Amino acid sequence: MTTNDLLIGMAGAGGDGVMSAGDALITAAALGGYHGVMAKSFGPQIRGGESSFRLRVAIAEVFTVGGTLDVAIALNWDDFLRFGAELPVGAETIVIYDSQYPVGPEGVPLPGARPESTIAVPIAQIARDITGTDKAKNNVVLGLMAGWFGFVPDGLLAGIRKKLGKKGADVLEKNERAFAAGREYAAANPLAPARPLEKAPAPSAPKLLTDGNEMCGAAAIFAGCTFFSGYPITPSSEIMHYLGREIWKYGGTILQAEDEIAGIGAVVGASFAGKKALTATSGPGMSLKTEMLGLATIAELPLVCVNVQRGGPSTGIPTKSEQSDLFQAVFSAHGDVVRPVLAATTVADIFAMTVEAFNIAEEYQTPVILLSDGDLGQRKEIVDPIDTASFRIIERRRANARELERYQRFAITESGISPIADPGTRGGNYLASGIEHNEQGAPTASGATHARMNEKRIRKLNPLKMRRDLFDVYGDPSAAIGMVAWGSVAGIAREALRDAQKKGIRAKLLVPRLLYPVAQQVFEDFFASVRAGFVVEQSHLGQLYRLIRMYVDVPRGVESFARSGSNPFTPAELSERLRDLAVAVQRAGRPELEPATD
Amino acid sequence: MPNSTPEIFQAKDYKSELKPIWCPGCGDFGVVQAIYRALASVGRSPHEIAFVSGIGCSSRIPGYTTAYGFNTVHGRALPIAQGIKLANPDLLVLAAGGDGDGFSIGGGHVAHAIRRNIDLTYIVMDNQIYGLTKGQLSPTSPRGLVSASSVFGSLEDPVNPLSYVLGYGARFVAQGTPADMAGLATLIEEGIRFPGFAFINVQSPCITYGQPDAQLKAHKSMMQSLSALGHNSADRLRAFELAQSYGETLYTGVFYRDEHPGPTYDQAVRERQQTLSARAVPRDRILDAFIPR
Repeated sequence: MTTNDLLIGMAGAGGDGVMSAGDALITAAALGGYHGVMAKSFGPQIRGGESSFRLRVAIAEVFTVGGTLDVAIALNWDDFLRFGAELPVGAETIVIYDSQYPVGPEGVPLPGARPESTIAVPIAQIARDITGTDKAKNNVVLGLMAGWFGFVPDGLLAGIRKKLGKKGADVLEKNERAFAAGREYAAANPLAPARPLEKAPAPSAPKLLTDGNEMCGAAAIFAGCTFFSGYPITPSSEIMHYLGREIWKYGGTILQAEDEIAGIGAVVGASFAGKKALTATSGPGMSLKTEMLGLATIAELPLVCVNVQRGGPSTGIPTKSEQSDLFQAVFSAHGDVVRPVLAATTVADIFAMTVEAFNIAEEYQTPVILLSDGDLGQRKEIVDPIDTASFRIIERRRANARELERYQRFAITESGISPIADPGTRGGNYLASGIEHNEQGAPTASGATHARMNEKRIRKLNPLKMRRDLFDVYGDPSAAIGMVAWGSVAGIAREALRDAQKKGIRAKLLVPRLLYPVAQQVFEDFFASVRAGFVVEQSHLGQLYRLIRMYVDVPRGVESFARSGSNPFTPAELSERLRDLAVAVQRAGRPELEPATD
Repeated sequence: MPNSTPEIFQAKDYKSELKPIWCPGCGDFGVVQAIYRALASVGRSPHEIAFVSGIGCSSRIPGYTTAYGFNTVHGRALPIAQGIKLANPDLLVLAAGGDGDGFSIGGGHVAHAIRRNIDLTYIVMDNQIYGLTKGQLSPTSPRGLVSASSVFGSLEDPVNPLSYVLGYGARFVAQGTPADMAGLATLIEEGIRFPGFAFINVQSPCITYGQPDAQLKAHKSMMQSLSALGHNSADRLRAFELAQSYGETLYTGVFYRDEHPGPTYDQAVRERQQTLSARAVPRDRILDAFIPR
């Protein structure tokens, strides 16, 4: 028997090479044409200490590493058990552990695991016999994965050669032998319960492998961004790291600012100077950036601010993902402000949404907030090839020669969008300001002008509410059971819907990638057939549910299904809930619970 | 980029049509006049100048010029000005604001602007009081000052802007007063011409909430020219010593000028961009780097 979906978890001490084993596995999977997602987890130490990964490799698209492991690898029990619920094992889990840390007489140290699936392997001993040290343990494990699970042996070997090729022939040779020894051990000790991976179809073009934060940085450069400024903060710093390596090549620069305020301040300045500019942060940084976002709104300057969300409020839990900054993204402003808020759903989608964020910022001369989250930002994902040629790049509407003759920077136009002039443009000289201003840019305290300017700044964003392309609907469009999910939770919901559909349940899923302004019509159309359902999100308050209800008449049977971060949803529990709703609809047998017929 | 055929500019070319909101007799009128003169001497066209300010009476100043102005939020002129200069190093960038803007709410940014040494000129109009909000203590108010927010007298010592910036390693530090308009214009011009971050503290009295004995008329008799005293502006330690008399003696002129200022941050950025541009893949191939091999 084979499998088309394999979830592996591994843990060990610092120096055991757990992370590089995970990287080797997902790299090989990408080369082998699989889909895959990998999340890493570390102990609280600044350096060293235990580490673990969860890696899911599959033939179909997958979006989550949640649920019970198919394969658990413990290089030692103490470290494995420290990750507790992050590495859950069950009756179906094959547990592979290093026999130098024997288990007790009961045979199984993990509740739920079965003795016949708990396999001792002299991992360290094999490594020592070949290389003289423990260091090659991870490559022995890779050999076991290749041997027992058919896990892309060529790809794993290529990875070892690439990684260790620089360290000299001797080191490389020893590690290749460690890998081979792992395979040989697997061949000599057949593992009855192991179900090898089915071979993936060869991809038409090479797949990509990266994490959400690097993808964001690359997308920014693709969109024409030449300026980044920000302040280090978990879990967003990798965006700055990536751009710090790459942006110079494109005539750009990064500035590591003295604080979050200066970070977005420099971005406001760069945008005023005519450049596409980005800042990235997480919750506490967003709190500090609020005033500058208001300035960019009233000065009508494009910029993109990425919030890689973590658990809040305040310092909260920096290392755990959450979706609790939606209200902040939408409402944290004084005055009457509408600023677009986008949310990406996968690492691949971060590319599209980052480009979209720049396009919306430029077209409407507004700050745009892109919500990512710790899961998306940090996880590695195998991404299908992206056709960059299919993306349009929008530039801000600059004043032409005729408009510069009697230039009005904040001219009230039909669209609400006013031609902008970059400093250095003759005739475009104007005063930008956070103070209310008239069409020329002169400060004013006139109530009438203030009202007209507020109206213009908000009206110009109305076309966004018609952007149906920023909403995805999955499943049966006329289903009576509907689910709404955003951000990284959308992937979990997609898998749940897939499960439910396999069980014959008619349901559908709406994934908004534009969260604000609320596209009332899109939600109303989705809810038209819905009699029961839920909005699922990783926050205590159920912020999207409540936001939608401000603008949309949500059917009575649609509820909030929300909980705090660090306790992620699983596809299984969401599909269970869909099934329960389906059963309830059927049992009730009331006409209003039947699926709509139109 | 300077024009190929140099234009000749006069002070009036930099004066906008907006009428200042300042009280008659405010020192800031003189500051803006000095800025017009300095800019005319430097000779850059108004459209090549970005003038950034924070919030406060004095921060209205960009609007009174014909430059590209940006009247931002309280205390944040410097981060925004630095972003502008890095995004377009061809621009002449000025930043300005009051003592509250620069040494209270925005005080944290000054040190970093100094150490980065991005080529811009920062003019603080120091009046030792919050005028726009009607007369509260400012970071440079003298101890004991009775104000709207200190009816029994201030219990704090003031910030000394001069030793503050010298302490953080500022490479150009000067002080002037609109009471000496020609001198102030010259200082601002020198600051603009200085390759790097230049700081000019202007004693610009508040006619409404300031102390009656510290108005412009008094400045004329109080001020002491550093060059007349024979101060060597290359002597940083002596500059520190002289700066200690802030609040007592009104020295005007250049306290310190680094004779070997070295490259600015923005120059270094350009060099790095030029060096690394050869390594760029076309933008539409940027994702190729994520293909595992």
